[in-house]
Amino acid sequence: MLRYVAARLLTAAFMVLLATLAVFLIANSVPGDPVLSQLGDLAASNPATVAEYRQKWGLDLPIWDRYWIFLRGLLQGDLGSSIVSRRPVLADIRDYAPATIELASVAFLLSLLVGLPLGILAAVRRDSWIDNLARLVSLVGVSAPTFWLAFIMLAVFYGWLDWAPGPGQLDPVSFPPDRVTGLLLVDSLLAGDWETFQDAAAHLVLPSIVLASATLGLITRTTRAAMLEALSQDYVRVARAKGLRRRAIVLGHAAPNAMLPVVTLGGLAYANLLSGAVLTETVFSWPGLGRYTYQSAVALDFPAIMGITMIVAVVFVAVNILVDLSYALLDPRVVKG
Amino acid sequence: MAERERVGIGRRHLIGGQAALFGTLLAGARPAAAQNAARRGTLVIGLDISDPTSLDPARVYQYTNPLPTHAAYDSLVTFAPGDYITIRPQLATEWAWQPDGKTLRFKLRQGVRFPSGRTMTAEDVQFGLRRVLNIKDQPAQYVGHIARVTAVDAATLDIELSDPSQPLLTILAAPEFVAMDRALVVEHGGTDAPDAKDTDKATDWLNANSAGTGPYRLVGWQRNQQIQMVRNPNYWKGTPGYDRVLIRHMGESAAQLLAIQRGDIDVAFNLLPEQLDTLKDNPAIEVKGATSLDFIYMAVVASPDNPALQTKAARQAIGHAIDYDGIIKNLIGGAAVRPTSFLPVGVNGSTEALTREIGFREDLPRARALLAEAGLPQGFSFQLAYGNAAIAGVPYQSLAQKIQADLARVGIRVELAPMDQVNMRTLFLGGKLQATLTFWNPPAPENLLWAAATVDRVAKRVHWDVPPDAPIRKLIAAAAAERDLAKAATLWRQYQEMMVDQANHFVLIQPVYRVAVRRSVAGLDLTAAGWMVELDGAKPAG
Repeated sequence: MLRYVAARLLTAAFMVLLATLAVFLIANSVPGDPVLSQLGDLAASNPATVAEYRQKWGLDLPIWDRYWIFLRGLLQGDLGSSIVSRRPVLADIRDYAPATIELASVAFLLSLLVGLPLGILAAVRRDSWIDNLARLVSLVGVSAPTFWLAFIMLAVFYGWLDWAPGPGQLDPVSFPPDRVTGLLLVDSLLAGDWETFQDAAAHLVLPSIVLASATLGLITRTTRAAMLEALSQDYVRVARAKGLRRRAIVLGHAAPNAMLPVVTLGGLAYANLLSGAVLTETVFSWPGLGRYTYQSAVALDFPAIMGITMIVAVVFVAVNILVDLSYALLDPRVVKG
Repeated sequence: MAERERVGIGRRHLIGGQAALFGTLLAGARPAAAQNAARRGTLVIGLDISDPTSLDPARVYQYTNPLPTHAAYDSLVTFAPGDYITIRPQLATEWAWQPDGKTLRFKLRQGVRFPSGRTMTAEDVQFGLRRVLNIKDQPAQYVGHIARVTAVDAATLDIELSDPSQPLLTILAAPEFVAMDRALVVEHGGTDAPDAKDTDKATDWLNANSAGTGPYRLVGWQRNQQIQMVRNPNYWKGTPGYDRVLIRHMGESAAQLLAIQRGDIDVAFNLLPEQLDTLKDNPAIEVKGATSLDFIYMAVVASPDNPALQTKAARQAIGHAIDYDGIIKNLIGGAAVRPTSFLPVGVNGSTEALTREIGFREDLPRARALLAEAGLPQGFSFQLAYGNAAIAGVPYQSLAQKIQADLARVGIRVELAPMDQVNMRTLFLGGKLQATLTFWNPPAPENLLWAAATVDRVAKRVHWDVPPDAPIRKLIAAAAAERDLAKAATLWRQYQEMMVDQANHFVLIQPVYRVAVRRSVAGLDLTAAGWMVELDGAKPAG
């Protein structure tokens, strides 16, 4: 088991490096000059200013030197400074990541809490109304464009019905709690500020539903399919023949075996939620990583792009490892094989 | 006040399927009275504030950061909304050229106090100006001709210029050149020493705090989220109307629209023309307009890759084949004006009447005649590049397609080349495009800043060779140095005539920025001077 873990970690580190290299090369192949995106018109036309900027951000160095500098910084835990924000990339990420983590986690939780039971019920009561409902939810969830769904939700539940608060993490006039983790739900509880907690939670409702919708659809479909397969296995027939109760068969025998593909999907879906919230964050004015990623990409902000790539790669790889490890726990054959 | 009471969050109950999870959280009503009181004292502005990198005046050069900076700090002089020609007193009450002809002496307003309680003196203005000069970030570029800033006594400040023919006052009105509470900034690591570029450490502090004499004081900035300001109790024009001003980041115009309809924000800056139209019948909201000094223009390059574009007559033909009125009417709902050339309507010597008199106008027979004169009776083709972006709700793409259709009428074929904004800029600045659609917004309402660009750096981009002794250069220098506004206006007219004849730049849209403001807010004036809005007179209505 230990050897298995070590091997996985080694490949993982290699994968992360490979990802950063790929992104570095792609970002560098774009013909735009990041310095020009940051300088005003007058400054951008002054060769001395441009040269000074290029030097300041190390853009005058050969490409491989720059990658080497990135790697060296990485070993020291330094991701460099963003050309756009002029702050350390780590400080930027520290500022923006909590909002995304909070949103993605709530969205993930939501899609599990709704998706798993719905998928299982749909499989058990195949072709019943609940199966049809599950179909509808998955279809809408997977196929509705996030941007559209976000606007519709805002227009209906905020603009029209006034049931939910508007964009942003908190009401305009409320003060954010003292920053401890950056997660508003956690920080407001730590501060004992129940009002802010409610405010933050209320602001999470719409964006998390929007963000969860696609994942919810996938989880429901996958759970249903996996359950259907498990329910048709011999051991289920045996269990039935033994006269076990239906609940015990479904939850005790079939469900654990059906969980393997769901765990894989769930892991990837969570990683996706963390890195793929750009549109939701834009519509809901959510100060998260998605927006930062987009801005960095548009401005060709190399250090920020590389930093985010690192984080995203690490998240994906870590989630994959966790999924693999949980496989090993759920199904001992994986390790032996 | 009925409108206001609807906005309390406590009465929003989210019910329905999946929301059951959160229902309990929402059920507890918030103390609506306290919430509404806080609302009344707070001005909430919805604005896309994703661009600023700093709120330190010495490093302010983006689009939206002048707004909070101007609210927190005062300059020596200023512009009143709508009049970008007359310089008005602010911290300086009067000013005069000294006998040496190169020093401007400012008399400072007495009894102006910072939020800290300290009285503003010439030392504080000297500190603010020297700090900008010595930090040498982008704002310093516009005042490179300042040789010396000297506090003569507590109420007198001298600014000596190395080149007095270069304008100063119009630039000094910008919120980069301000009085700073010297003791406070020094306490937080600030310095105005010649080596301030490396030794000043106050920027981090100034990104979340301010040290100026303006109506509001900066108390926090959460990037991509909000800028928080509170009232300056010592403001010299009297107590400001709001306890707090919040600038909320809202990147999506649709979200801004909903938020202002609901009353969650009081001012919405980034609404699209069709969204503004939906507010027409809303009694709670007023749509205010201010003609900007920004413009979208098409640069046509005398490109070595395209011989046709090297012919002036061919470029002029382009100018006469564009349906300018159609662009303004259909693409921006009429909310724009059009200047003659590279000087926006509203600055000295540029008016809409002048555009009608000497500017390009749609005239297809004339365009055809010019093509024949250029030896291209069958027309020609060129490539038009533009970024994937929109200005004032007008996507470059739509504008490019309109121009393509317009020019096709006289046989000029336009090949559209959409590209990433940074690529476009890189290629354009390198002089490698044939034509492009782009945007110009000024750092200050100073004619020379536009005009000098057209014969220097922008001229290079369009491959227009303007020799050092060219008449147009002499004309610009004379116009900029002319201290009599009427005489200067005549010279600027001549400049614009030359620019039209040269036919490298076709200014298409100078937007009238329209901002939705709830009627619960009074005294909020929009300005095109660079800082978007004057907050000193804003107060709750009624």
